Amino acid sequence: MHEVSLMRALMAKLESLAREQRAKRVKGVRVWLGALSHFSAEHFREHFEEASRGTTAHDAALEIEVSTDLADPRAQDVIVRSIDVEVAG
Amino acid sequence: MTNKTIKVDYLARVEGEGAMVVRIKNGRVADVKLKIFEPPRFFEAFLRGRSYMEAPDITARICGICPVAYQMSAVHAMEDALAVAIPRSIRELRRLIYCGEWIESHALHIFMLHAPDFLGYPDAIRMAKDHPKLVQQGLELKKLGNEIISLLAGRAIHPVNVRVGGFYRVPARQELAPLAERLKHGCDACRDDVRWTRTLPMREYSHDTEFVALRHPTEYPMNEGRLVSSRGLDIHAREYDAHFEEEHVAHSNALHSVIKGRGAYLTGPLARYNLNRDRLPASVQEVAREVGLAATCRNPFESIIVRALEMLYAFEEAIRVIAEYEPPEVPAVACEPRAATGTACTEAPRGSLYHRYTIDAKGIIQDAKIVPPTSQNQKAIEDDLRQYVAPRVDMPTDQLRAECEQAIRNYDPCISCATHFLKLEVEREP
Repeated sequence: MHEVSLMRALMAKLESLAREQRAKRVKGVRVWLGALSHFSAEHFREHFEEASRGTTAHDAALEIEVSTDLADPRAQDVIVRSIDVEVAG
Repeated sequence: MTNKTIKVDYLARVEGEGAMVVRIKNGRVADVKLKIFEPPRFFEAFLRGRSYMEAPDITARICGICPVAYQMSAVHAMEDALAVAIPRSIRELRRLIYCGEWIESHALHIFMLHAPDFLGYPDAIRMAKDHPKLVQQGLELKKLGNEIISLLAGRAIHPVNVRVGGFYRVPARQELAPLAERLKHGCDACRDDVRWTRTLPMREYSHDTEFVALRHPTEYPMNEGRLVSSRGLDIHAREYDAHFEEEHVAHSNALHSVIKGRGAYLTGPLARYNLNRDRLPASVQEVAREVGLAATCRNPFESIIVRALEMLYAFEEAIRVIAEYEPPEVPAVACEPRAATGTACTEAPRGSLYHRYTIDAKGIIQDAKIVPPTSQNQKAIEDDLRQYVAPRVDMPTDQLRAECEQAIRNYDPCISCATHFLKLEVEREP
């Protein structure tokens, strides 16, 4: 039930990164889903597509790595590893 | 065009399920909006087609802080539909379990969420460094509330023992006795806590709104009574839909509730106290007098005192119920389904919680309506903030934001999970 809030925060982060880089758009996003995060890859993708509509990350290629390590100290987390941006010039 | 890859390693977090936006234009408050973007969860829709017996267990999942309130409104609405009368001992146990919920919910809000505002800390964790006893005490009281719920219903969060007609299992007298002893200590501590809330630095402020709460002929209201207001409303829960309506607003996923033809109103501790002070036992009224709480309290900041007072009441009431308890002959009254509609309002910690169900001859739910207290209070919170900000528009934005956050917290808003606090944005336009 916290997906919407999490996605809003994530989109705000992507927008601010894009602004910082003077990027026109975010072309790719790589995320890591902890084994105990409440997302599956499909679930994350669906919410990402919904939340990114109309933002600089619209249509970004999403690469999702799903961890299966329950003992990972970050097992509950969702981490954005890196993003690809398109910049002018 | 060039492409760049940027290493981020950003940890995505849940940033809150709601936001408050205050827009100031030309030195005047142009707009105040409480936005709730937690998506709708469609409980009313997926109750359809389920058995009437499942309503208390399904609706308990709506809230982890006040599951008992959902169970109480659900069973009373179903019993209204089935015209079932409940024996005294079962209604007493229901008051007892509600006392547990009032205690745990109020303790959480008073000590963990509200007190840091008054004492100048960003949260309870940082407050604990300078006021360890305060935080410890809050947790101890909360634990006592949880224990009441666990004892009666198996566990403190999403309890399971409540059923239409009564309980699946009722406790023996000797099971309750050890708890009573510990509740007495909690009660004494709580009496001092009411006095402590009076010592907190209080803002002079008053917000006039229509107060709505249950009112019972003899008791401080929990499960029974007529729904009354400070402006003359006096109805049975059955008449709720004729007097209240829910509106969609573009900026929020939660419906706004209004009194038809009049608008915003407030439910919760302030409303309950203002409409039922005379129903508190003399011992609790005495403490209210001692701390100088007005007979009608219109200062939302003083809600911390009222919550402490209600917590004291819940302790005294729990001790009374346990002392007088005689187990019922059977844990639940037998219920026969029939085609009917039933309604109930009960007093959740945050305010009145309305349920209405229509069931068919086999007891299958055809229609359900649930109106939670935060939804009812949304419009009053917006009105209050508009009034609060108006004379303070020239205040530095940071200070204004801090004061507004505290003003919102006065209402203990529950946005699925009250611990994810609202974000407040102050937008200024020339």
